[in-house]
This record gives sequence, C-alpha cells and structure tokens, in this order.
Amino acid sequence: MTLALLDARQWQQAVDLRSGRPSEAVSPLGGMVGDILARHPFPGDRDGGSNAWVTDTALDFVARYDPGFAFLAYAQQYYSSRYGALAPETRRKYVENAFAEAARFARESGMTTVLVGTGDLVPATTPIDLEDLDGLAVASNWCAHYAGLYDLSDRDRETLARHPHLERIVPRQEILDLFGGGPEDGGRLPDYMAVACRGGFFKGSSLRRLVMVPEPSAVIPVSQNLGPATSILDIRPRLLELLEAGNRVALALLEGVGCAEFQPPYTTCANGKDWFRYEPGDAQYLALSTGRHPIFEHNGGYRYYLDDGEHKPYPFSGYFKELPAGTIGEAYPGRSIAVGNRSMFMHVCTGCDVTCECFARNLYNQGLMSVIFRDDKMVR
Amino acid sequence: MECDYCERRCRLGPDSFGYCKMYRQEGGRIVERFPDRWCAYGVSRVETIPFYHAWPGARCLVVGTSGCNFNCRYCANAEVVKVDPAGLADIMLDIAPEAMVAKARKHGCHAIVFAVNEPTVSLPTLARVAEAAKAAGIAMGCLTNGYGTPRSTALLGRIFSFVNVSLKGLASEFCVDYLSVPEAGPILRNIAALARVCHVEVTTPVIEGVNDQEMEAMADFLAGVRRDIPWHVFRLLPEYRMQQEHYPSIEALSAKVEAVKNRLDYVYFHNFIGSRWVNTHCPSCGAVAISRHSLGCGGDKLDTFFAAGGRCPSCNGPIALYGEHVAWNAKEATA
Repeated sequence: MTLALLDARQWQQAVDLRSGRPSEAVSPLGGMVGDILARHPFPGDRDGGSNAWVTDTALDFVARYDPGFAFLAYAQQYYSSRYGALAPETRRKYVENAFAEAARFARESGMTTVLVGTGDLVPATTPIDLEDLDGLAVASNWCAHYAGLYDLSDRDRETLARHPHLERIVPRQEILDLFGGGPEDGGRLPDYMAVACRGGFFKGSSLRRLVMVPEPSAVIPVSQNLGPATSILDIRPRLLELLEAGNRVALALLEGVGCAEFQPPYTTCANGKDWFRYEPGDAQYLALSTGRHPIFEHNGGYRYYLDDGEHKPYPFSGYFKELPAGTIGEAYPGRSIAVGNRSMFMHVCTGCDVTCECFARNLYNQGLMSVIFRDDKMVR
Repeated sequence: MECDYCERRCRLGPDSFGYCKMYRQEGGRIVERFPDRWCAYGVSRVETIPFYHAWPGARCLVVGTSGCNFNCRYCANAEVVKVDPAGLADIMLDIAPEAMVAKARKHGCHAIVFAVNEPTVSLPTLARVAEAAKAAGIAMGCLTNGYGTPRSTALLGRIFSFVNVSLKGLASEFCVDYLSVPEAGPILRNIAALARVCHVEVTTPVIEGVNDQEMEAMADFLAGVRRDIPWHVFRLLPEYRMQQEHYPSIEALSAKVEAVKNRLDYVYFHNFIGSRWVNTHCPSCGAVAISRHSLGCGGDKLDTFFAAGGRCPSCNGPIALYGEHVAWNAKEATA
C-alpha cells in the first residue's frame, strides 16, 4: 500500500493513495513527513512566498532524509503570469526569485542542481472559439495550445481548415506516424488535434482570464552543468549518469521560463518533435522523467473525464488512473525526494521515494499532500 | 423601472444595469444584457458541485455566466463574478440553448448544472436552456444564494429540479458585513418555497468565530422545513477579500458539527481534503449508504453507492434521494 498524507492545515489525514480511503497504516517515515508538512504550510500558488516554500520544504527533507536525488518544481512565476497582468519589472522580479530560490537550495543542500526552464510565456492575445462545430472540441484548463477534435462533419473540416488562428489540424494517424506508434497506440488520441497559433487559446476552458500562455517553445534551456542534451529526452539519462558517478543531484524545473529569461549559462534542447512542442504540464514532466514521449497517453485533447467514474483508482491524483512507470525516481536506487508547487505532478510524474506537493487545484489552496512510495531505504 | 429578479430590486434603465450589471430596461421590459453568453463550461461530478442526494454519480455539464447580486467577502469565483461582465465580452462564449443541450449530450452528461455564479442574474437564458433540456431529457440543477424575489424563485423552481441554496448566515450584521445584503429573511423564505417544489440541499460556509455560533439555529430552521434536507457545512476557504485570513480549525468546527448532526438526517462537513464527514449514513441505523472521497478544491467524488432503490443496505430504511444512481459513462452510448 502506498500511503498519502493529506495536510489541510492543523489537521492531517492518512489515506491509501490507490483507494483514497482513510488508512491507519504506519510508515517509518510517516512521523517525519507529517512533521515537515506541519512546519511548512503552503502559502498559495501566486503568493510571493510560494517558491521559498519549495526550497524551505525541500531543505527540511534533505536534512531528515538525506536524498541523493531531488526533483524540484518552482512555479509561482508561471501561475502569477498566467492569470495576472504583471508589470514587466514584477515579472522579472518573480523570475529572479525563482532562480534565487533554486540557487539557495543548491547552496544549502550542497547538491549539484541542474536547472531546466519549461519554456517561454507569451501574451494571450487570441481567444479561439470552436463552439460552433457539429462535432466536439475538447480543451482543458491547463492546456492552452492544443484541443482534441471528435466526430467532425464535412462542414467542420472546412471551417477548421480556413480558421485564421489555428496553426494546423493534425489527424490522429499523423501523430501516430510522428511518434512511431501503431494503431493500438491511438486509443487516447483525439480524431484530430487542433494546434493554436502563437498567443492563441481555446475559449471556455478557463474560468479566469488568461493573461499569458505557453509559447510553447521549440527549445528549452538547460543549465550547462548537465552536460550535452539535444532533446528533452536526453535530460534523464544525463542526470542518471551524474548520479551513477556518485554526485548528489537535484533537478529544478523553472516553470514558464524559457531561453529569453534564463539566467545561468545554458544549452538548449528540443522541447518536442517536429511541429509538436510541450507546454508546461504532465506530458512535459513525463518526457523529462521517463526519457520517452508520452503523447499517446497524455495529450491535450483526450476526454480525461471518461476515466473518472466510481472506483477510479488514485482519486487524489486528478485525471491519472494509474501512476506512470519508468520515472527517474524509480530508476535511481538511492534515496530521492520530490518537492514542488506544481501540485500533483510531483507524486505522479517523478517516481521519487517521498513526494511533497501543494494540494492546490485551479489555484484554490487547500493544503499539502505527501506520498510515501518507498520507506525501506532508511534502514540501509 | 424596478427589477424584480432579486430582492435588491434595483432601478433599471436603458443605461443603468443594477447591482449585478446583467439586466437593463428596454421598451418597458427588463431584458438581459448578455443573453446566451457563458463564461465557461466543463464536465464535472455531481458530488463536486456539491449535490450528495441528487442523481448520485452523475456526470454534469457545469456552466456559468457572469455577475452576482451578492458581494461575499470570501467569493471563490471573484475573477468572473466581481468584474464588469461587459469586460469579459471577448472571452465569453455565445451558445444558444439548443446548442448547450447538444453540448451536454456530446459530453455524455446526465444533467446541466449552473454553478459558477448566481442564476438569478441570468434567469431568462436559463429558462430557455431548461426548455430545450426538458425536451432532451436532461436534468437541470443549480447553486443559488436564494436571494430572489418570490416571483423569480418560483421561476427558479420551475427551471431547476435540484437546487443547492447557500445559507451563509442568519444575523443581519453578518449579512451586511460579509454579503452586502441587509438580511437573511428572503433566503429563509425561499429555501422553504423551493423545498416545496424541487429537491433542495443547503450549503453553509462556516467562519470560525463569525457565524459558527449560528449552526444550531440554522439546523433548527432547516429541520423545520424538512428534516431530510442534506446540509453541507463547509469549512470556509478564505478567498478574495479574506485571502490573508486564517483557515478555520477543522477540529473545532467538527465538534460543532457533531453537536448538531442529530437535528437533521444528513449533515456533512467538507470543503477540505480528506474529510471524514462526507459519507451518507442511514438515519435509522447509521450504516454507510453512500461513501465518498473529499478532494477539497479537487471536488468530491462518489466512492461506492450502497443505497440501491433508495434503501439502506443494512436495515432497508429509506435514504432520501432525488433521482437514481447514475453510472458515470451511462450516457456515452447515446451521446
């Protein structure tokens, strides 16, 4: 059983991660984790202290668990820019703060800290309305650039082909061909994928007005201390090489930061393949963590709610009905932690022994969740 | 001319739009400024909204417009509700009633639920959607603050077959300070009126030290209407103008919930992750009739439905339900 500890501020509840039901199970790490959660209440996604929370909490885990690998995510500048009309100097201050917090973690933990920017943001200039289709367009709150299209009529196809704000309409087969999939891989791909123009976003999927959206970037910056990486898929093997060489290593993702704002010396790596570029999100995290393109399972156009019925396993893991395999935390035999303010991706995408994330959904801050995947490494 | 959609009864003119900014006067009639315009829609579980006793397990198309006739200090949707609706024109969706119903069908939804802002500010549009939904066999539900006039409340009761009314407080001082309305009287009147014509659940966000001392009085009022009204006691999530304030103590509030739970058949305490107070227990024998997960802002979720036929699995006593248990993908085949 995998134990998840929920912290709703001054109140904690342990649950079985798979069933979601309360659990009385005891983990040797449970007390330590509970104490850390209680010491570090989450200030909120857009709060000025959000990135400091990541560093403070991660350092607390480092002090008590002594991991060889840490997976960190810093996202305050991403959330604040996405929904707030920030003055340029405010945006610059937020980005500087993210780098400063990652640097503080590196300094105080002594870990070799590899920084990756997940891509530039651009102004959300062009709302795209696909509501008049005979078929179905599926866009999600956190994926501005791609929409799934289903059951299109001839009229729909004509409309979409002439749409001034769509970069392209990609049939399922073309996605399968691009990523080397067979017919059996297409079950979670839409009939077609609509790709928005730069600055475009699909209307109706976000309650809040979008101010900035992911570009999404063709290449993303990686700090030079990783060594050569030409593709996002190369980051994982390079990290594992560093770890195998005996280094204590941290990977810190700086959300919504691309080459234009990246501060330390960096190289660039491809953020996708051909026309497809990752937005900051589950697919990008999994590409980084597994070293494989996960687009057949995780794409912006799947009707995720189909999986959300009664008895769906992992009710505290959002739309995930299983935990992806082959993650970097799984591959590393030493102790590992993941801490971040990008909510459930920490426990779903990293595979680390112990994960800690904000339990904020759609920016509503309800506390924290920590998942203990491995509690057998302390006794070594 | 006076608006008679809500008890604010604003004066409307061709260029004066009232407190909610959603109506105006035109040719001696009150008309909507933004008919058939929607801020967003999404697919959600009925338990998330929350409805615990209506169509358990159902997939819903959750929709909203903009504007509100309240100004709650802790509004969770202030970025849609508290801005001038005219300023959202570029991102609003233009969806005719028949198209909205078609959308619900395409998404395999059992019901359409209005749950972002206050339905009273968009009643004519919602009446047209209800007409189309009725023809398509799709149920309609809503959240409301219950501040409509008797006429519009009657209309609300015809449009929606299941309604969750927010009873936020009783004292006039609280209503003025926290909601910007003078009193709770119309809300109490409308809860009773709606309970006569449709399924009603009630939600109360509780602020420690502010309205928690009213919990007994609220429970007694609801029991006087119907003892089987499900009551959702919410731990307040401090948002909007209360964002910097403390989160209420779950331990303290749960003790208060325990103290009043025998006054009604179904009392729940949630709006935070991992709540233990979200299962439906049989009022007769206490057995679990419906189990749920409390995902806080991630939305609640049905775990297991044991109350087949509206009966307790243990003693066969009645469990108050509106509609039947709906399998999540039941409408996919016909969508």
